[in-house]
Amino acid sequence: MSDANVLDELPGDLMMWVLIVSELLVFGAGLAAFLAVRAADPSGFAAAQDTLLRTGAGINTIVLVTSGFLAALALRLRDADQRLKARMALLTAASLGVVFLVIKGGEFAHKTTLGITWDTHPFYTFYYLLTGFHAAHVVAGVMILVLVTWRDASRNIEVGAAFWHMVDLVWILLFPVIYLLR
Amino acid sequence: MTGRRLFCAWFSLIGLSIASTLLALPVIEPGLQWGLGIAVFVLAWLKARIILAQYLGLAAAPFWRRGFEISLACFCTLLLALYLVPLIF
Repeated sequence: MSDANVLDELPGDLMMWVLIVSELLVFGAGLAAFLAVRAADPSGFAAAQDTLLRTGAGINTIVLVTSGFLAALALRLRDADQRLKARMALLTAASLGVVFLVIKGGEFAHKTTLGITWDTHPFYTFYYLLTGFHAAHVVAGVMILVLVTWRDASRNIEVGAAFWHMVDLVWILLFPVIYLLR
Repeated sequence: MTGRRLFCAWFSLIGLSIASTLLALPVIEPGLQWGLGIAVFVLAWLKARIILAQYLGLAAAPFWRRGFEISLACFCTLLLALYLVPLIF
């Protein structure tokens, strides 16, 4: 198989894949650094982690994978010329992104109530950096989903949905490392 | 991609997400933590594979799918090793 054929096989926009890989590398480095620092103080990290709301984060995982499902479904509907249904699926996906942010906001507010800030413990420095940076991507993703609902060419939806799936993928890796592993 | 595959992917992701959350909720004895770590990383890897293959469409691109899956497996192994370091030493 020639190089051109290999690249042609890649679904969607090549630049979106470059972005996806770059984002995965950034978050991957952050998660590896988190676990490397944790190795020096596992009990301190475990105690800090116990202040997190694991169930809320679990619900957020379900919210995000459902939103990703709707974004993928929207592309399929648009390709079948069902534009209205595709737009509804995209708007619902964006709304679930907002739900994710509301739950995340509640989680941050809970930490503030406990008097926890980013410099309380190294755990929280990583927690706020990684989950905050991810939340910023969710905000961008919601805006992109709304944008492609308006400009609903199939290619636009494909690129917008790919960005949203990247946000989903990052959370799938971030969630167990930050919230679940003791 | 068929709609049925997409629905299956979604159901699988929901199931795996619930499983990983339930696995981590009870307090685990220190001696069994390594088992929890392996289980949680395997579930995360499975979820990531589903997103890559079904949501991002790599199921239709076997070359890239293989590349992403191998890279992801290596990355999850690195994270697992870093997680296990304080349990071993």
